[in-house]
Amino acid sequence: MTQRAFTPMVLALLVTTLGFATLIFVQEAASPPLIYGAYYAGTLFVLYLGVRLLLPHSDVLLLPIVTLLTGLGLVMIFRLTYNVEGAHKLALTQAVWILIGSGTMFLLVLFFRNYDRIFDYKYLLAIAAVFLIASTFTPAGYTVNGARLWVDLGPVNFQPSEFARIALVVFFAGYLAEKRDVMAATSRSFLGVQLPAIKYFGPVALVWAASFGLLVFEKDLGSSLLFFAVPLLMLYAATGRTAYVLLGAVLFSLGSFVTFLLFEHVQLRVQSWLDPWRDPDGTGFQILQSIFNIADGGLLGTGLGAGFAQTIPEVETDFVFSAIASELGLLGATAVLLAFLAFTYRGTKIALLAEDDASKLLAFGLTAMFALQTLIIVGGVTKAIPLTGITLPFVSYGGSSVVGNFILTGLLLLVSERAGRREAEGLAYRDGPL
Amino acid sequence: MNAHLRRTFYLFVAGFVGLVVMLAYWQVYSREALANNPENGFQTQRSISSPRGLILAGDGETVLAKSVKRGTPRGPVYDRVYPLGAAFSNVVGYWSTRYGATGIEISNNSDLSAIAGEPETLDDLINWATGGPQPGNNVVLTLDPELQELAYQELSASSTGRGAVVALDPQTGEILAMVTSPSFDPNQVDENYPELASAPNAPLVDRATQSLYPPGSVFKVITAAAALEAGVSPEDEFFDSGAYELPGYTVNNFEGKEYGEVTFTRALAYSINVVFAKIAVTIVGARPLTEMALNFGFGDPYDDFSVPVSGSSVNSLPPEEWTTGTLAQTAFGQGEVQTNAFEMALVASAIANDGELMEPRLVREVRSPDGIILDKPTESVRRQALPPSTARTLNEMMQQVIIQGGLTEAEIEGMKVAGKTGTAESGNGLPHSWWITFAPADDPKIAMCVMIENGGRADRGALPIAARLMKAYLEEGV
Repeated sequence: MTQRAFTPMVLALLVTTLGFATLIFVQEAASPPLIYGAYYAGTLFVLYLGVRLLLPHSDVLLLPIVTLLTGLGLVMIFRLTYNVEGAHKLALTQAVWILIGSGTMFLLVLFFRNYDRIFDYKYLLAIAAVFLIASTFTPAGYTVNGARLWVDLGPVNFQPSEFARIALVVFFAGYLAEKRDVMAATSRSFLGVQLPAIKYFGPVALVWAASFGLLVFEKDLGSSLLFFAVPLLMLYAATGRTAYVLLGAVLFSLGSFVTFLLFEHVQLRVQSWLDPWRDPDGTGFQILQSIFNIADGGLLGTGLGAGFAQTIPEVETDFVFSAIASELGLLGATAVLLAFLAFTYRGTKIALLAEDDASKLLAFGLTAMFALQTLIIVGGVTKAIPLTGITLPFVSYGGSSVVGNFILTGLLLLVSERAGRREAEGLAYRDGPL
Repeated sequence: MNAHLRRTFYLFVAGFVGLVVMLAYWQVYSREALANNPENGFQTQRSISSPRGLILAGDGETVLAKSVKRGTPRGPVYDRVYPLGAAFSNVVGYWSTRYGATGIEISNNSDLSAIAGEPETLDDLINWATGGPQPGNNVVLTLDPELQELAYQELSASSTGRGAVVALDPQTGEILAMVTSPSFDPNQVDENYPELASAPNAPLVDRATQSLYPPGSVFKVITAAAALEAGVSPEDEFFDSGAYELPGYTVNNFEGKEYGEVTFTRALAYSINVVFAKIAVTIVGARPLTEMALNFGFGDPYDDFSVPVSGSSVNSLPPEEWTTGTLAQTAFGQGEVQTNAFEMALVASAIANDGELMEPRLVREVRSPDGIILDKPTESVRRQALPPSTARTLNEMMQQVIIQGGLTEAEIEGMKVAGKTGTAESGNGLPHSWWITFAPADDPKIAMCVMIENGGRADRGALPIAARLMKAYLEEGV
């Protein structure tokens, strides 16, 4: 576990500062109130120091990565909206959400050091998650861009699925840790493939189907994909049975085919992925603009503020990566992907070093969710796979997403603290230097 | 369990590698194709959202085209402004996001454009590295702004208002003026294009370079050059009976005149068709005459010139298939001979410059916005039209055109002037009026061709205009 990340923190904040300086001095953007910048830098630094103090053995290297990604997100959101009437305050709103996310994470770190108690409430969490997702069907829920994802709670609107997915990962981690041995033992086989016992697989399948089904009806394809794939990967990790993966692949193909037949919006998505040129000003417009912008960046990018990413609808949320690729080029976009990969690597390492199965599965599930979310949205905007609307973690504009990802990072830090402490104690027992 | 975690991690790594490959596919491999896709408006968008370079006249100060910033809700855009308007529009061209681009605007687009090319100076590099606006480079032309302006006024005020002037420095090939009339206001192209394109007087056509006309007697300098090469001397005497009968064609003199016994020099000065037809048929021959025209640049498409040029031509048939009638007509620039002011100005310049036809140039240099010279075409000889001695003899004969021909209006005090008239039957209305000239004849500073469409007699149409322009240029002492 890396316990010191002062220089990376400073570098991450410097990158953010450089980005804003470029926009303000070169592109002549009106400067946002400097106090927000101070709040942002101060908060993340205090968060870093707080984590160092409260979780001295945790893998604190996650924080500079989070700082870099949120900072880059702020720069890009500011760049994409500062001159757009009605949206020029989005960067400030995002900064506020980062503060809220940091606060949430701090509270988590402060009060949940014995995080494994939450595994006792795993069924409750599972039910809560399903209800959270279902809450968008209540009168408080509403639809944005054809997907019913939002809940209006008076002062705040939020996307329940962003939080539900974390709750579900906790549930699956707790449940699979408990049942992994019996689930790995197979009772019968079908066509040469060994099948797991229905008895133990039942609850998993139930929660899985419920959440997946609800999201499909909410037309939230990106989240559906995540809710489908993450438990599957956790199942594989827990049991080591490729049968689950195969079964999952079959189910996925079947499910995809059925949803394709049932829902017109799915057909449109697939069509605009396969042949966006058929309707370049209609259904293919968004993906084509994304591709044009990415291509426009070339190797080195157009430079911050010199691209045309504002032509992409939803650029500051789902398509923020296209703007990055356009203005920072192949090199910049690859660097950003490496930052995501570094986070994934640290998360995997935390899972590897975690002492108990539940912690291992929790860290792995969260990491897998983070990595998959990145792969799905970046794959979508680069036309590698059909587009499904989800956010790029920490970078995209969106309060629920930012807060959710801070919670995710907080949980990873908590798991790493325990592993790190064990490592440190192990060292203390040993004689002599390493 | 850890083995499974590792395996899954490798899967994610593969996914990230796949994304980088996908990005490289778009950003490197397909970049060009996507940039040029008709659905992709970024190139146009970028062309108006960053300033293009200036186009400057030969004095390095007079601005012919500039980009002016205008704020819009979506950020600043740059409008292209042409302060001197119609007088320069055939050379400078226009830059329209709707109707494309012409002239220097397109021929030197890669210099003027803010996006093209790699950074060349430190400022470029800093701007490029910081993503700042990258103004294009400035293009300095060879045009003399006052001469160009004056020539445009003269042409506009001419009897038909339709014509062309081309003037160049014979010793360097730098074009000093290239004017067409009628012309158009390049500032209004977006609004007026459909009307301009369909207007009967074709203001979008550059008459100096793109139209072709019969040259009439100005072509006689080429016939004379061929004759001198064939051994005729200026003092050789020829008899003009007023008519020269050939199978199927009879040559007559302009206005039916009859001159009797004349020297070759006088035959040029009086522009005697009968004598030139006789010399072409009996002494020169079709092939040497054609070859002489080719030496002077007939048949050359001038593909490398900054603006498009319609190549001049002598005849559609190879010389072996000409009748004597064709040869006779060609000798005095009728028949199928087709040319324009650009080519005839080059002919005059080659005679003035001891037979060397210099590479014609409109662009003197390209400078970065901070003044560093990035490109400076060097002067070079495009073709040796004539041996120097022949050129000097012809030069003398062309001086006699003014002296013996009594064209006092073309004279300039204190210097020798050479010239040749042309009154070309157009087959439609009054003849085209031509005048080629250069001065000082012993150390030429300027060679010029003026052509007035249906302008009538050379000495009443083209010549007076040229005379005023020559005096203005030489007396201002540029």
